[in-house]
Amino acid sequence: MSIEKSDDRIPDDSQVAAVVDQQQPLGGARKKARKWTTPLVLLAPAGIILSFVLVFPLIRLIFISFQDYGLTALFSGVIEWAGFGNYIAIFTDAQFLPVMWRTLWFTATLVLGCVVIGMCFAEMMVRLNRKMLVVFNFILIMAWAVPTVASTLIWRWLFDPVYGVINWMITQVGVFGDFTNHSWLGSQAGALFTIWLLKVWISVPFVALTVYAAQSQIHKEYYEAAMLDGANGWTIYRSVTLPFLRPVLYLVTILSMIWHFNTFNEIWILTQGGPDGDTTILSIWAFQKAFASNSFGQGAAIAVVTGIALLVLTAYYVRSLNRAGEQL
Amino acid sequence: MLAGALCLIWVFPIYWMVNTSFKTAPNILRTTPQFFPSPFTFENYVNVFTKPNFLSSLINSLSISIVVVGISIVFAFLATTALTKFNFKGRHLILILILAVQMIPSTALLIPLFLTFRDAGLLNSYAGLALAYIATVLPFSIWILRGFFHSIPVEIEEAARMDGAGTARILRSIYFPLLLPGLIATSVFAFITAWNDYITALVFMADSSKYTLPIWLVSFSTEDGVDYGGLIAGSVIFALPVTIFFLIVQRNLVQGISSGGVKG
Repeated sequence: MSIEKSDDRIPDDSQVAAVVDQQQPLGGARKKARKWTTPLVLLAPAGIILSFVLVFPLIRLIFISFQDYGLTALFSGVIEWAGFGNYIAIFTDAQFLPVMWRTLWFTATLVLGCVVIGMCFAEMMVRLNRKMLVVFNFILIMAWAVPTVASTLIWRWLFDPVYGVINWMITQVGVFGDFTNHSWLGSQAGALFTIWLLKVWISVPFVALTVYAAQSQIHKEYYEAAMLDGANGWTIYRSVTLPFLRPVLYLVTILSMIWHFNTFNEIWILTQGGPDGDTTILSIWAFQKAFASNSFGQGAAIAVVTGIALLVLTAYYVRSLNRAGEQL
Repeated sequence: MLAGALCLIWVFPIYWMVNTSFKTAPNILRTTPQFFPSPFTFENYVNVFTKPNFLSSLINSLSISIVVVGISIVFAFLATTALTKFNFKGRHLILILILAVQMIPSTALLIPLFLTFRDAGLLNSYAGLALAYIATVLPFSIWILRGFFHSIPVEIEEAARMDGAGTARILRSIYFPLLLPGLIATSVFAFITAWNDYITALVFMADSSKYTLPIWLVSFSTEDGVDYGGLIAGSVIFALPVTIFFLIVQRNLVQGISSGGVKG
């Protein structure tokens, strides 16, 4: 298949066809047809499902965001256009700016925390002996495997004001004073911190295992060569490990960004966006508008704004992807 | 040292979950927590198993997840082959789209998806739920597999071709073994996605007999206040099969990577 790779660098298909046509008219046509049909057939199953479940609803989402889609529309089937009404409603909402700012801040600290801790984990795992590696793997996979709904409920239990073991431990240590009956979810700072910790706990295993998988594929010779040149630990990490990890780190960072930006379950089950809307981020806000207030139009508008915000945030990666396009 | 401390942070919630699940109801609700269950009891587990719809939720979750893994792995493999081994117009656009669709929040897509599936009569059906999961899983699977495809040097394939190996032979003896870790990683991801989903199933599945385990767990927690004992025992049962599956898979993954490294 990849024998045709020699064609890759020729920019314009019609040019290729023209050149080939002059030399071998029949062979060129056949080659071109084959180039199109095989990938099309291979892409078809995934393409059909993605069109129906992702692309079509996505287009519909944009339509709904311009419609007055509420309970009446849901049951009568009569849908009225709202122009920019939904967008004006959410942008002038007093909640908009705080929610936006909170979402960005929440995402940034989470991505940073998860990637840095994940890289530390991976670096540690490389150094561990086989037995310890099995233990580490076991723990990480266990934490990853626990369904988010379950780990969120466990978190609530750990941080329970009266019977929670965390309050008891902090009180025993004594450095931070008496935490008996301290309500973590009762204040904004406490609730955000609890959710942040939970998200880090849930997300680090994926980062660590992915980075470790990439790191364990680096050939030993590179390290041996670097050591022969007299490089020390940090220099080796920076000049040998990091360049190899860069593609994986890109992937992990962009995925973490997307996942954390879209956090829902953890917040919804712990606080439902409270206290007093203090832990509401964009995803929670959209859900509340759509499924609690039955304002599908405004919910869709928030979702569109969320999508655009994410696109702006990840633009750098998309651009570098674009630039590296031909190597993909 | 640091490894030990980090280890502790990740292991403690799991330890506490298992510990709590074996405590008696009065011992769970104590201001001075018990670090080892005494007396040791299975009552929380018995509670969960005797609850209505627990078994059907377990079976629903398991069968939907398996179907999602099977279908998505095949479709993702085919699509990745097209995207990495062929150069055609629009290939680049498709790659950008695959990345772009992952930025759509599932909560946002839920609004039009709910309305679309409602029109198509796919709400409250296993097929509809599985379809939603497959679509969620596919872009990421293709993305991950693509990375593994690229880790295979073109030279290996060219050398094999020069030695007279056909396409089938190359797929079987070069691609399959080298891609195996990627296929396994993708399956694991597909399984977690389907198994862990809460919000889609909550919005889609109306009948309690069609619940998946996460919805069942939450409904159990809201029955009369939070019954932590039953809830956490249920969570252990929920986490157990998936963890065992991961551990088996993880060993293969490490093996696949190390053997691939030696041979390569």
